Amino acid sequence: MVSERLERLVNLTATLLDTRRFLTLEELAARLEPSYPEDKVARRRAFSRDKETLRDLGVPITTSAIDGFSTEIGYRILPDDYYLPDPGLNVEERAALHVAVTAVRLDGGEAQEGLRKLGGVEGTGAPALAALAVTAGLAELFDAVARRRVVEFDYRGDPRRLEPYGVVHRFGHWYVVGRDQDKDAPRAFRIDRFDGPPRSGPDGAFEPPAGFDPSEGLRSDPMTYGDDRPVEARVLVDATRAAWVVDQLGDDAVVERRDDGAVVVQLAVVNREAFRAFVVGLLEHAEVLAPPELRSDLVDWLRAVAQSDA
Amino acid sequence: MTQPVAGSRLRRILALIPWILTHPGVTISDLAHRFDVPESELESDLALLPLCGLPPYTADRLIDVWVGDDGAVSIRLAEYFERPLRLTPSEGVALLAAGRALLAVPGSDPHGPLATALDKLEAALGARGALSIDVGGSDNLDRLTHAAADSEQLEIDYYSFARDEMTTRVVDPLRVFHALGAWYLAAYCHRADAERLFRVDRVRAVRPTGESAPPHPSAGDDDLVDLVYRPDPSDPRVQLRLRPDAAWVAESLPTEDAKPRPDGGWDVVLAVSGPAFLERLLLRLGPAATVVGPATARAARSDAARRVLVRYER
Repeated sequence: MVSERLERLVNLTATLLDTRRFLTLEELAARLEPSYPEDKVARRRAFSRDKETLRDLGVPITTSAIDGFSTEIGYRILPDDYYLPDPGLNVEERAALHVAVTAVRLDGGEAQEGLRKLGGVEGTGAPALAALAVTAGLAELFDAVARRRVVEFDYRGDPRRLEPYGVVHRFGHWYVVGRDQDKDAPRAFRIDRFDGPPRSGPDGAFEPPAGFDPSEGLRSDPMTYGDDRPVEARVLVDATRAAWVVDQLGDDAVVERRDDGAVVVQLAVVNREAFRAFVVGLLEHAEVLAPPELRSDLVDWLRAVAQSDA
Repeated sequence: MTQPVAGSRLRRILALIPWILTHPGVTISDLAHRFDVPESELESDLALLPLCGLPPYTADRLIDVWVGDDGAVSIRLAEYFERPLRLTPSEGVALLAAGRALLAVPGSDPHGPLATALDKLEAALGARGALSIDVGGSDNLDRLTHAAADSEQLEIDYYSFARDEMTTRVVDPLRVFHALGAWYLAAYCHRADAERLFRVDRVRAVRPTGESAPPHPSAGDDDLVDLVYRPDPSDPRVQLRLRPDAAWVAESLPTEDAKPRPDGGWDVVLAVSGPAFLERLLLRLGPAATVVGPATARAARSDAARRVLVRYER
């Protein structure tokens, strides 16, 4: 019966939140109404199911071994873990958040659920203006940023240990930025390229630099992510594609403007694969001028491709 | 499957009680709107509460719910639920992402209620400055947004990336939106005599025609991602076998079909929106992709490679 179980879940939450000490399952079963089954196995199973439902909702249950002769486990909800600190939102601010979660669509209904906890919807929403994807692992990494937890993960086959300072959404992808502990240097990683879920360590493991801006931790161009030895490259872009490329790279990248409208752009390449993707993306409208090693890399690549289907 | 139902109702009840406790006299209809739930469901939630409370479930320990004739609701004896449950990391990141994204849209008030709400929320989450969103933008974005709002007809110079060609066309702007990391203009295109999507960063020049755009059946409030990923049935299809290091194609491009292979690679079928799209993709993938078919796609790949090589061999 849904309502009987729901009633027990409300009462379980209330009791665990109200108690000043850890309560064992036997104590809970003796107090709660509607209670758990008499049969020990069935009781444990029903209680596990309730705990799981509460955990799914984000209700933080703390467990502790009970002192004494038995090896019993006790349960309670610590008020500081449960209660949302009042952010002190006023009516206009709640209305603005409602507009935001209706204008910007994210997968899953998590933003709407969050809004309910903050007092539900205020005013009318807005038509859809933007869609953002939510990547697996994003919430865990965001939590690790907030709790200052070091995260470990495998990234394209390499194990990484990162002090995460922030998460950034750019070019349609989510990145985590921070300090790579092994490289002792700032790094950014695309979250959807993780080989598996991140594992996080204990709270308060590091202190992020004061005034850190996560968007600055992410360099402006994906071509600049990588661990290849940095090389300065020059690329000639024909007039017909010049404006578009300058838009992408910024005016600072332009080192020469030719009379026919073509431009020469200069880039610091630390990721040769990304650089190659950029240049071949321009098809026959661009040419790598320098350095000779990148130029011959590209020629070798194109020759192999040209012959592959011959 | 009673668990998901019990879970989602519990979630709502745990949000509902604190609001009523701190806003005694709030009406049923206001609550129904605020928590986006039919009044009948709300009434059954409220009917459940007087059965709930603390042991030993005597009258002084059960939650006291009062609903007046005017629909005004009050609750007593539930002090332990006075504050809502903390936001989960997923809820926190979703709220901040939606808010920061809207705030990043050119024209948003950087000091308005949304900005102050997000600052307060970040402080409550202990995550000040932990999340940043860049939605991009350009001069044309503002121009096109206004044109769509004012039904102003425009002539645009547009770079078609998929076909690698520059075109000029007259369009009636319908709406501007952001999806998959880029801004799009949905417009009725007089050249194609149909509705078309244009990436705002590929619109090179905008000129008013001086006409106002006639009304068109609007693009509506569809799923934005679906609007972008709507392959034309007449587009040719190409079948590729991908090595594991090209698995990103299966993950980030719209595939018609994608089957994982035992070695970690993929077999995919893609809709080809223009010849340049296919050439770029194949040149980029190089040996990481094998063209299974059609033969014309294989020829397109070696042809494109030779065209680019000409620049290096003269």
